[in-house]
Amino acid sequence: MRPRSLRGVAVTLLAAALLSACTSSPPEDRGAVAPSDYGGRFVYPLRTEPATLNFVTASDQPADLVSRLVGDSLVDRDVDMNIVPRLAESWESSDSGRVLTFHLRAGVRFHDGQPLTSADVKYTYERVIDRKNHALGHLDGFLPVERLETPDDRTVRVVYRFPYAPALSAWEMPILPRHLYEKEDFLTSRFNRAPIGTGPFRFVSWEPGRRIVLASNREYWGGRPYVDTLELPIIPTQETTLMALLAGEIDYASLTPVQWDAYSRDPAFTRRFATVSYLSLFFYYIAWRADGSNPFFSDPEVRRAMALALDREEYVRAVLHGLGQVSFSLFHPAILPPDPDSRPLRHDPRAAAALFDHAGWRLDPKTGLRSKNGRPFRFTLLIFSGGEDHAQFSQVAQESLRALGIDMRIERLDWPGLWARLKTGDFEAALSGTVPAGDPDDVVYGMLHSSQIGDGRNYAGFHDQEIDAWIEEGRRAIDPQARSACYRRIAKRVEELQPYTYLFFPKVLAALSRRVMGVEPSPRGLIVQYPGVIRLKIRQQPGG
Amino acid sequence: MIPFLVRRALSSVPTLLGISVLTFAILNLLPNDPIQVWSGGGYYSAEAVEHLRSELRLEQSPAARYASWGLALLRGDLGRSMRDGRPVAAVIVSALPWTLLLNFCSVILIYGVAVPFGLFGASSPGSIADRLGRALLILLYAVPSFAAALLLQQWFAVRLGWLPLQGVPDRGATALGTTASLARHLLLPTICLALSGWALVARYARAAFRSALGREFLAVARAKGLSRLRASGHVVANTAVPFITLLATIVPGLAGGSVIVEQIFSLPGVGRLYLTSIEARDYPVVVGLTLLSAVLVLSGHLLVDVLYLVVDPRIRSGLLDERSDAA
Repeated sequence: MRPRSLRGVAVTLLAAALLSACTSSPPEDRGAVAPSDYGGRFVYPLRTEPATLNFVTASDQPADLVSRLVGDSLVDRDVDMNIVPRLAESWESSDSGRVLTFHLRAGVRFHDGQPLTSADVKYTYERVIDRKNHALGHLDGFLPVERLETPDDRTVRVVYRFPYAPALSAWEMPILPRHLYEKEDFLTSRFNRAPIGTGPFRFVSWEPGRRIVLASNREYWGGRPYVDTLELPIIPTQETTLMALLAGEIDYASLTPVQWDAYSRDPAFTRRFATVSYLSLFFYYIAWRADGSNPFFSDPEVRRAMALALDREEYVRAVLHGLGQVSFSLFHPAILPPDPDSRPLRHDPRAAAALFDHAGWRLDPKTGLRSKNGRPFRFTLLIFSGGEDHAQFSQVAQESLRALGIDMRIERLDWPGLWARLKTGDFEAALSGTVPAGDPDDVVYGMLHSSQIGDGRNYAGFHDQEIDAWIEEGRRAIDPQARSACYRRIAKRVEELQPYTYLFFPKVLAALSRRVMGVEPSPRGLIVQYPGVIRLKIRQQPGG
Repeated sequence: MIPFLVRRALSSVPTLLGISVLTFAILNLLPNDPIQVWSGGGYYSAEAVEHLRSELRLEQSPAARYASWGLALLRGDLGRSMRDGRPVAAVIVSALPWTLLLNFCSVILIYGVAVPFGLFGASSPGSIADRLGRALLILLYAVPSFAAALLLQQWFAVRLGWLPLQGVPDRGATALGTTASLARHLLLPTICLALSGWALVARYARAAFRSALGREFLAVARAKGLSRLRASGHVVANTAVPFITLLATIVPGLAGGSVIVEQIFSLPGVGRLYLTSIEARDYPVVVGLTLLSAVLVLSGHLLVDVLYLVVDPRIRSGLLDERSDAA
């Protein structure tokens, strides 16, 4: 599993529609074949097993996926990351952005037949803000809420303490059935392993260590999904997943760059499988611990020199086989379109050397290392031991830095170990990755705002008053243009100060059985998008 | 014999106690507070941390925690999984049958193939078939199990499509159908797990049989007109003790190997559970599993002792003598 931060919560009113997806042998067009029939089974493997299927406490990717299929949120995001209505038919914002009013759809029922009302929304909200439930993935977005009112069964009014621009993002949270949970202990309820929601798929079974099975909800208010059965087997290794795809046991497999090179040009393979590649939201970064606990990285000049020293483009070309994109901005292009005026720091070892010299780190001819006040430039980069790409990149970086007279050591840790060190700030530099939520506020507030040092995701311990002020301005700016401008200012200053060096977005590479039609990749994945998954179709075999 | 077994079983108690203390100590010495691990990239509020701390009894000293854990254990309560909230015993029980079945089948397969192989080699030593057979086994021994697994999957599941690639079967309509499907699902993982054992046991068997075949009693038996087959029976009986000792050494190795095999073949067994629980720092499950494997290894040894008594009258009488000495 790749390390990833929990999806924080937040949202884009910017609706950045620049989708950087490309498909090299595209799945067939929806209209090309017309299987008027419903039915069939889609088998989509999970790499790890969810810890719980409680929509509120779910914190891992597989649980998030199942929650979005079994549950329904008030709003969701479409294939281009635009916010679209789901349980909320419509909404309006009033009191200059302080009040958000949702109007729920009529006639929505839970899978047990009970109607959904605004009381369920209120109940779900209350479970998130109850700190005992550690609903980490959702809490951030609700912290600015002052109160939530339900004037009638179909209206939810959310009052914020201040005009809160990313508000809608928090409502991408699936709604729990109050009538079922109320009678049970929330954290140990049996519905945490057999969830009931209002979503397009009903929960059928969860066989531990083995698979989760869902069936289509024929009474779904948004129309019956085409696929009858969604089977999610748990297959822990990438090699077995690919072979299971080849053996016809599953319909989808993610590929490594090496597997992609071997298979995507093989006609025998592409006859059976569509190959799909797209830029996901996941990106790698290096956090430079800038709180003064080491003599190197408190100085922005040194951090800038480090960014100039790393050859990110070469890495993407040579190691990722070109299947990725250097992140010269901290925002994914689908979250905030790149700024045409930005001047990213590209690989330039000479400029890096000059900056190191200027910062006082001069080459010591005796040791071949740079040093300052007698202290050699020798530091340790923490990396995640479970990912080959982490190790490869850090070795390439080690070489580049060595050439500039910097000795970087690499320490490999398992994910819990790395996380603990990030959280406690017990490191000099650390390579990690994260999946930002759809709103630009999520990544800047979580990683850069000074209030997030220690408690949040500001692992670098970075503190800049100007950036803090702009982040707060961005949260309150209701006008999309003004918000964009604000985030561009932040991106520009972050590029100068380099508290983190954003490395690259690796492409997600996958193969999909040609039986499956009607899916387009979204930066969040093939089936985490709305209403994409309802439109997914399985080509019926003649006579089968 | 019964008093011997009781004594033998009681002598494992201090060992188990020691293992539980050690496991507990190691987990408590790990550098990461479990709460840090679970808090993920988001954060835990002070209230949530406090709640978790009291749930985990982290505010108590390790010794106090060990005591309350031990008391609960005596009541048969292993605690709850921190990852998914299920009782630890239930989590382990749902995974255990797969691992036991896989290991049991592997032992049968190892002995079922290796003993006849060794006997054949011993009865025609130096023949071309014997040499080829030995070379083949050495080759199989040298293949890492994950590589063997991938090759077997590639051939039998992907190219030929004869066997399922991974996972465990659905419950079929009939018991017979379910068993057949189970056998098909377990065949490849069992072979993978058996690979390294084959060469070991076969070489051992060949050597043991060769020395037994050269012994005088066999010549006498054959001279008295015993058929070749019945004579072989005597050979096997005479070499049984070392095979049983060998069993005690292979089984822990198999249990370790099944972590990899379960991972590759997506079997929901104890090995995979171990791995995911350690990754998630799910302490109660890790402690439960460690204790379980200790119990299994110790009962394996006990079983070996019992088998000794069953197959070898000399050991049996030796034990009785020991008892009369003691008395």
